[in-house]
Amino acid sequence: MGGDCKYEIRQEAYVKLVLHALKHRASAVNGLLVGRLVDAAGSGSAGVQIVDAVPLSHSQIGLLPSLELALIQVEEHYGAQDLSVVGYYQANERFNDEQLSGAARKIGDHIFRYFPRAALLLLSNNYLEALLKRKVNIPVVELYTRNSSKSWERAGLGLEQSTELTIKEPSAFSILLDYISSEKWQEIVDFDDHLDDISKDWLNSNLFK
Amino acid sequence: MVGAAEEVHLNRLESQVENGGGGAWEYLCLARKLKVRRSDKVLKFGLPILNDPRARSKLGGEEWTLYEQVAIAAMDCQQIDIAKDCITTLLKRFPGSTRVGRLNGMLSEAKGEFAEAERVYEQILEKNPLDQAIQKRKVAMAKARGDLSAAVELLNKYLEIFMADYDAWRELAEIYVSQQMYKQAAFCYEELILFQPTVPLYHLAYAEVLYTMGGLENLQTAKKYYASTIDLTGGQNTRALYGVCMCAFAISQLAKGRSKEQESADLQSLAAEALLKEYKQRAPDKVAILTATLRGMKLIS
Repeated sequence: MGGDCKYEIRQEAYVKLVLHALKHRASAVNGLLVGRLVDAAGSGSAGVQIVDAVPLSHSQIGLLPSLELALIQVEEHYGAQDLSVVGYYQANERFNDEQLSGAARKIGDHIFRYFPRAALLLLSNNYLEALLKRKVNIPVVELYTRNSSKSWERAGLGLEQSTELTIKEPSAFSILLDYISSEKWQEIVDFDDHLDDISKDWLNSNLFK
Repeated sequence: MVGAAEEVHLNRLESQVENGGGGAWEYLCLARKLKVRRSDKVLKFGLPILNDPRARSKLGGEEWTLYEQVAIAAMDCQQIDIAKDCITTLLKRFPGSTRVGRLNGMLSEAKGEFAEAERVYEQILEKNPLDQAIQKRKVAMAKARGDLSAAVELLNKYLEIFMADYDAWRELAEIYVSQQMYKQAAFCYEELILFQPTVPLYHLAYAEVLYTMGGLENLQTAKKYYASTIDLTGGQNTRALYGVCMCAFAISQLAKGRSKEQESADLQSLAAEALLKEYKQRAPDKVAILTATLRGMKLIS
């Protein structure tokens, strides 16, 4: 799938996935991205709006049952708002591991089948540290999209140079810093937590209230 | 492996201490017993005790255990100097101890000086070749360096000798899963189930791996192990209940059109019912999603 595509992630989605990673610092975390395709009127180029993030798990990434169940339930819930699964995010377990794992690619491939502009976001532990320790304002995720040879490529490199990710609201950075200082990550719930205790809300509906 | 009730207790203690209600020592002991990794809190609560001579003397012999616990927590939080101080204190008290030697090795690991850590461990192993903790450190180090095949190799060698180390089997299974080597992970869980057939966690983990592997036979076996999990947990395990439903559906999809003996649909309908009951009681806002999910799997009308 060639052509440029602009990816825009809403503050809510971005903050959720960062908080999820911060809650489970000693393990890998992953989650789904929910959103919609937008056709930038007139300009002819497509765009993807990532409206929300659903944290999935913080252990045993690479097992299917909870992923499949989450996909069903996420589609069910968000379908009513005309949103669907448009991507996937992951943060690796080891600090120096900046590779997109096999499991991530597989999950990405699966999502791609239903949404050809699927986005894979890989959290960079280095940028996350820079954010935490030195309050550096750079997005802590790297965007990967499927190129014409069916492999996942980092955006901004190769042919897809105009594929990029922007965070919609400029206030995202200061909100994130706020939440970090108040240790807001304690409140985030992922699908794993829900399966351990169904009274926990994987939609995190009250997180930002 | 922390049970739900234990985790609630631990969390309650944690907020109690956070809010100045005391109980730090109780928290630290519980964290140690449950082997949870809450290094930031351990450091936060433990260091003041160590820095206060009166509080320290109240601990008696336990003081040294606290030094060890705080040292490890400090390393986990990259507070190298604090860790170093603790270890130095321990070395003075227990010179030549392999237990403290292990901490020294870990300190080198925390600093990223893996070659030095390796040297420390080899030294200890020369005198005590069967030191389990050190052997496991070598696995941890391989894992930390991203050399998962070395970690797997070391862990397999370790298990040849210490084959009743259940945690090691679990660790190996988890590494295999992270590498998508599901068959090998399945083997580990099979061993664990043989060792401890009444631990539901192993049945559940085995079922999840089998489901991931897919294929009719694996799904049928997965369903059996989800069922045994339900049995062993008195129907309280949500994952197992969902698992039975998902297996039943996947099997029906695979066996479509083929003449198969009518498998009793009781198990999955019971599981579906149990899920609905649980959700209605404890997660009413999600009942609609659950109903749609179960309907999609043709388990309810």
